[in-house]
Amino acid sequence: MSAVDVAQVLWLALAALGLNLAVGLAGQPILGQGAFVSVGGYGTVLLADRGDLPLGVAAAVAVVGAGVLGWLVAFGSSRLRGAYLALATWGLAWLVFAVLTAFPGLYGGSQGLVRRSPARLVSRFLGLEVTLTPVWHVVMAGALCLGVMALTRCILRGPVGLDLAALRAGPAAAESLGIDGAALRRNTLAAAAAIGALSGAGTAVLLGLIAPADVSPLLSVQLYVAVLVGGTASLWGPLVGVALLVALPSVADLLSGTAEFSVERSRGMVTAALLVAVLALREPVVRRVRAARPDVDVADRGEGRPPALAEPDSSPDPGGRAEVSAPSQQPAEAAAVLEARGLHHSYGELVVLAGVDLAVRAGEVHALVGPNGSGKTTTLRLLAGALAVQRGQVECAGRDVTGQGQRDRVRSGIVRTFQQTALFPGLSVLDHLRAGARGTERGGGVWRALLRTPSWQAAALRSDAVVKDLLGRSGLVACAPAQPEELTHGEQRLLQVVRAAAAQPLVVLLDEPAAGMSKEELHRLRDLVRDLAGNGMAVLLVEHDMRFVAAVADRMTVLAAGRVIATGRPDDVRRMSAVRAAYLGGTPEEDTL
Amino acid sequence: MDPGIALQAVVSGLAQGAVYGLVGLGFTLVHRLTRVLSFAHGDLVVGAVFVGLLLTVGTTPVVATPSVPTAVAQVVLALGAGAVLSVALYLVAVRPVLRRDGVGSDGGAGVLGWVGGTLAAGLLLRESLGTVLTREAYAVADPLRLDRLDGGDGVLRLPGGGSVPVRLLGVLVIGLAIGMAVERLVVSSRTGTAIRAVADDRETAELMGIPTERVVLLAFAVAGLLAGAAGVLTAPGGRLTLAGGVVLGLKGTAAALLGRLGSMRGAVVGGLVLGVVEALAVASDVFGPAYADVLALAVLVGVLALRPEGLRAPPAVSAT
Repeated sequence: MSAVDVAQVLWLALAALGLNLAVGLAGQPILGQGAFVSVGGYGTVLLADRGDLPLGVAAAVAVVGAGVLGWLVAFGSSRLRGAYLALATWGLAWLVFAVLTAFPGLYGGSQGLVRRSPARLVSRFLGLEVTLTPVWHVVMAGALCLGVMALTRCILRGPVGLDLAALRAGPAAAESLGIDGAALRRNTLAAAAAIGALSGAGTAVLLGLIAPADVSPLLSVQLYVAVLVGGTASLWGPLVGVALLVALPSVADLLSGTAEFSVERSRGMVTAALLVAVLALREPVVRRVRAARPDVDVADRGEGRPPALAEPDSSPDPGGRAEVSAPSQQPAEAAAVLEARGLHHSYGELVVLAGVDLAVRAGEVHALVGPNGSGKTTTLRLLAGALAVQRGQVECAGRDVTGQGQRDRVRSGIVRTFQQTALFPGLSVLDHLRAGARGTERGGGVWRALLRTPSWQAAALRSDAVVKDLLGRSGLVACAPAQPEELTHGEQRLLQVVRAAAAQPLVVLLDEPAAGMSKEELHRLRDLVRDLAGNGMAVLLVEHDMRFVAAVADRMTVLAAGRVIATGRPDDVRRMSAVRAAYLGGTPEEDTL
Repeated sequence: MDPGIALQAVVSGLAQGAVYGLVGLGFTLVHRLTRVLSFAHGDLVVGAVFVGLLLTVGTTPVVATPSVPTAVAQVVLALGAGAVLSVALYLVAVRPVLRRDGVGSDGGAGVLGWVGGTLAAGLLLRESLGTVLTREAYAVADPLRLDRLDGGDGVLRLPGGGSVPVRLLGVLVIGLAIGMAVERLVVSSRTGTAIRAVADDRETAELMGIPTERVVLLAFAVAGLLAGAAGVLTAPGGRLTLAGGVVLGLKGTAAALLGRLGSMRGAVVGGLVLGVVEALAVASDVFGPAYADVLALAVLVGVLALRPEGLRAPPAVSAT
């Protein structure tokens, strides 16, 4: 292999490593990396030769342009579910290819563009002149590959890697913890596009020409395969994939030696066959690797933090705050921390809420009960920001949060759980809690976490303490390294509550947490909820199990047909005749109780 | 633009659009039942035609019009190949992945699998045929002999001075007829009711005793038949290439998206709109022939990027 070949492989590897950020880390099906590569390649050649820009500037402009394009694609399709992103990027790959072949005057047709000027990098400011030999390309592309790998490793092992893992495993649950999925998807795609363009620029300068066939949609598919080979959240996977791609021609040549196949054609067939094989074999291989290194997840992410999380902590707390949420005990008549006034909501013609007032105080467990269809879950979703408020007002700790979406409400101190268990398959119990605890650190953003600034480290230590504390108090310590599938149904429900509590919210909204629990599990849930409230957290509980409500709630609000019909202490409320009528007075829902 | 030329463009655009509609219809059917966007659907169109050709006249087809038995065999084989390939696509590339990863419609990583699966299947089909075919592009004779509709020179003169090949009228009529027939079948027949039931809620349909797996297989077979029909209609119109299948598939997808994905009538109408827009652009002074594929693909990407609300129910902030 000559230096030119090595450099070419390295530039290709760079494109795959970049794509890995969007596909392997963020779990997005991106089928248009070839389009970004061609923007970089063609852009650089056109700007340098026809635009007479210095080579370095031309490449930089092309790379930034591709990054912006990637960001725009992600922005445009961020409202779409994953599959449509695949379609949009696949369409983009073919669109760029069609443009390149449709306008031979500008892009040189199927012959492509040949660079006129010699491959020199001239800096007018420093008086430097570098001849871009193949060896220079090897060094440059190699360094860039290492750089992207270092970035990938940093993300994977850090908290952002945890955000991404949660996003891949359960997008809805991740959003409920305040993880900004749209921004993560957008930024990883922009980065992938820019790195792809860099690869295209490097290849074009190295070879001195660029042609549509080199950046065809087949390249997009090949790069996608290369990334999928290693599966998600892989550091080395893309390199293995690229090595396979590079080895393909010789395999194809072998085939063409034995049969009447042309090399070009059998190469495509082998790629397709490889892709099918990858999809079939990926899962078992990954599982085997996991089995060989059972603790890889827990050990890796604990880097730089106290690793021993298995026993309840008794050592001095490093962040000075091991208590969950506000430590001070609230007096019985504390001010309301979450207050809703006049909530109206209708789905089309159907009015679900007709003016609901609700106040939840710090340190109290507040049950929201009512017959089926009375609007309990709608109320909870409005409070959590999962539904936009149509009419009415929501205040949290005295601040108006009516206009906030779910993510901002998490930051304001409101976290919810789901009626149907929504966990992150593949993540350990410990990581569930860590993902939850990220809700409070996330403010300063990705860069602080990547650079591990002191303020971030302090926050990380604090949330570690919270996680440790919660593990102990919930009794989930023993299963900290376990995956959610290994837990009982009741433990899974419990984990959902603990994960929300790990965000240290002012208010936690629990949607039927006791559903399907055994008696013993109900006791654990009761103790946990009382414990959270005892430490000052406000708990709003939507629940059907009246015995559980009686055991755990301080106050209770009864909804019927979208209106509050009673509020007060559970014993008092249950004696009210209106409440008895709502449940027993012949409403169609009575038999569901 | 000269009105005569515009009329000519509209007529040929409608004919091409009827073909896009058939492709989009199959795409929609598959999507409704499995939530999968088939990236291999266009390859089925071209693949079906080539299988029909290879089995009747060999690897170097002649342009001469085939004899009646050969022509009948070609059409039947193309339709059959479309159905068989489509079912094979489901069995090999879609079902195994869906069973393992799910469809990933929540935006999670489950989507990576079947996207790769359908892409790979399309690529495999293209490349496998590519190892057998001897030429880059083929000119195919029309087994349906639509160019003899008028019994004359096969050219239809339009008012205003333009003219179109008379076979385009046949393509338009047959294409629309097939499209409407399939739409009617799905809407009003018993089997169609089962298809819609499975599309709405597979689990409930299964509980009601509908053989859901067989219904899905049937839908893939119908989608394949539609692909085969589209191929038979469009192939004689120009150069037939393997790579052209992907672009044709993407245009069918664009047609389905234009008509709000999931609506069968929408796919047919979307196809007609796309065909006319494309033909007018190609005939216009502003754009020109170079824009044929560029424009359709730009429509696809643009619709996806700018009007996603046209594709699915308006997004609530989040489902529970």
